[in-house]
Amino acid sequence: MATTEVMLNRPANKKASASFSELAKQEERLAYWLLLPTFLVVLIIAIYPLGSVFVSSFTNRTFASSQPTVFVQFQNYRKLLSLDIRRLPPVVDKATGQVKLDKSGGVVYEAPVNVLPTDPIRYKEVSQFSIFGNHYVIGATDPNFIHSVGDTITFTVLTVLLEFLLGLGIAMVLNGFPARSVTRALLMAIMLIPWAIPTAVSSRIWQFMLDSSRVGFFNMASSALGLGNGHIAFLSDPTYQLPAMILIDVWKTTPFMALLLLAGLQLIPGDIYEAGDVDGANKWRRFWNLTLPLLRSTISVALVFRTLDALRVFDVFQIVLAQSRYSMASFTYYQLINSRVMGYSSASSVVIFILILIFAVIYIRTLGVETE
Amino acid sequence: MTTQSVTGERNPIWGVLERIGFWLMVVVIVVWMLFPFYWAINSSLKSESQLQMTPATLVPADPNTHGLSVFVANYASVFKNSAFVRGLLNSAIVAISVTLLALAIGSFAAFALGKLRFRGKSPSLYLVLAMTMFPQIAVLSGLYAMILFLGISAIPGMIVTYMLFTLPFTVWVLTSFFKGLPLEIMQAAQVDGATGFQTFVQILLPLTAPALVTTGLLAFIAAWNEYLFALTFTSIEPQARTVPVVIALFSGQVAHQEPFGEIMAAGIVVSIPLVILVLIFQQRIISGLTAGAVKG
Repeated sequence: MATTEVMLNRPANKKASASFSELAKQEERLAYWLLLPTFLVVLIIAIYPLGSVFVSSFTNRTFASSQPTVFVQFQNYRKLLSLDIRRLPPVVDKATGQVKLDKSGGVVYEAPVNVLPTDPIRYKEVSQFSIFGNHYVIGATDPNFIHSVGDTITFTVLTVLLEFLLGLGIAMVLNGFPARSVTRALLMAIMLIPWAIPTAVSSRIWQFMLDSSRVGFFNMASSALGLGNGHIAFLSDPTYQLPAMILIDVWKTTPFMALLLLAGLQLIPGDIYEAGDVDGANKWRRFWNLTLPLLRSTISVALVFRTLDALRVFDVFQIVLAQSRYSMASFTYYQLINSRVMGYSSASSVVIFILILIFAVIYIRTLGVETE
Repeated sequence: MTTQSVTGERNPIWGVLERIGFWLMVVVIVVWMLFPFYWAINSSLKSESQLQMTPATLVPADPNTHGLSVFVANYASVFKNSAFVRGLLNSAIVAISVTLLALAIGSFAAFALGKLRFRGKSPSLYLVLAMTMFPQIAVLSGLYAMILFLGISAIPGMIVTYMLFTLPFTVWVLTSFFKGLPLEIMQAAQVDGATGFQTFVQILLPLTAPALVTTGLLAFIAAWNEYLFALTFTSIEPQARTVPVVIALFSGQVAHQEPFGEIMAAGIVVSIPLVILVLIFQQRIISGLTAGAVKG
């Protein structure tokens, strides 16, 4: 690195070398002055607010309220993260002494409300499951947050995986064109369009395409193909909500992934392939043994960027699903703006921050991303 | 380059099939990328009654005759919508200011990081790199509280806080560009007696014009599209809303009957400047996007 730098005002003759260190100091001073605005910005809009979010996550601070702000220790975190698993006993019919069955012959279990703890905060049902013949309920003091964490992680894993596979396929197709061809330039411009359109706009477009009647494209197409009755509630039926979010994100972000991978593919020198041809390697083997390993560092960086990005997904969840289903970020937003519970929202921000940090560290450790 | 080398050795039929398969994939990719955009244009050219037709039509059709019937009034009513027009203006003010501010602050820092010697350079670079991964949501409540406390109105608030995601990559991309500039240029300037700062402003900055265009475009697009901060900071100041917020909140009098024709028209209007930028500066945008991710 040192060779690409210059010592400004480096003295041309040796006589002046007495003032050499003075000039080096001058250069250093100039560097600090030039960096000052950037550091001020980082301090004011990143480090200070992060600190204040951390502090207020331990308080009951509320917006637009006369209630005094006091420290509540870990109360916000306890409410966000408390989980409990309880066994649901079958209901026994008092008259017969037998286990009560519903109309279809399934066992009727105790209502979760009667089983989950209520003190000091009421636990509400997150989900139920059966294992080893017993039936259990998972309760949480804030099921919405627990759901948002689960949904966001599912969303992240599936979108990043799909975007990577599709993006790699698209990059390979585009790489089939000569680097300077007009077709390739045109295709790349087309691929930038989904990326460039504001997420707010693409969310509204997809929301309309996913309309619950045949006014929407997907219901029109699926009923024309004989699938479904033309009234599939893609955006309000919980089964389809997450797949819909994933579909929208995959559409918007796959091109970005493809462009990153394509840039990586272009760095692979062509003569490596020629050597492979001599060895009689077929296309698939060549892809597996040459292309993928050579693309490794590009893939790592792309996956890290996309994962950290997907974990903070907000726009599409907030616009399309609003408060019917949350991502971690949209949960935090609604706590802040609708419920005005700033302390609680801050705690949720801190949890997201830590989660993203953990993902970043795991990724960098396992994939060995180079930072220089 | 992967397709031609292998085909010659085998049955020519395979080569033809391969070409067909290849072009089929190209067509599928293009349709998949552009279809939602096409659907938005199609819907923006339909009247309310045409939008309610079931099944939905692939081109705007007359409800009775099913002939082609294009309805352009959505675009007219979008431009008569004062919230939308003000949103366009707000977005332009915010995005242009953010771009200029990020380029000014960013090029200062990038010159220092790319061309000067000083203690603490590596930690500074790492700080900038870490910032590129910083989640906006983590500081949302802190920033909002700060803006309310200081009484800053939403537009200047957005301009300053958007530095959070525009400044790091501006610095990052410009730094690598400065590193690549030849030393001889700077040395020649020094022989002429220019100070360090003069060298930077008069000699190096003009040379970085291509990189400034690239990073400026990315900063502009990011600021134009930003939603979370804009939505939050304008929640008590609706007249400061930028266009993504206006479009997201665009709704009719009856909640379940949203004017989708107008929403789609508004979406197209907002996207057109971006599509034009993308078509003109395709190469630059891609080089900027991939600069951080691949080496070369």
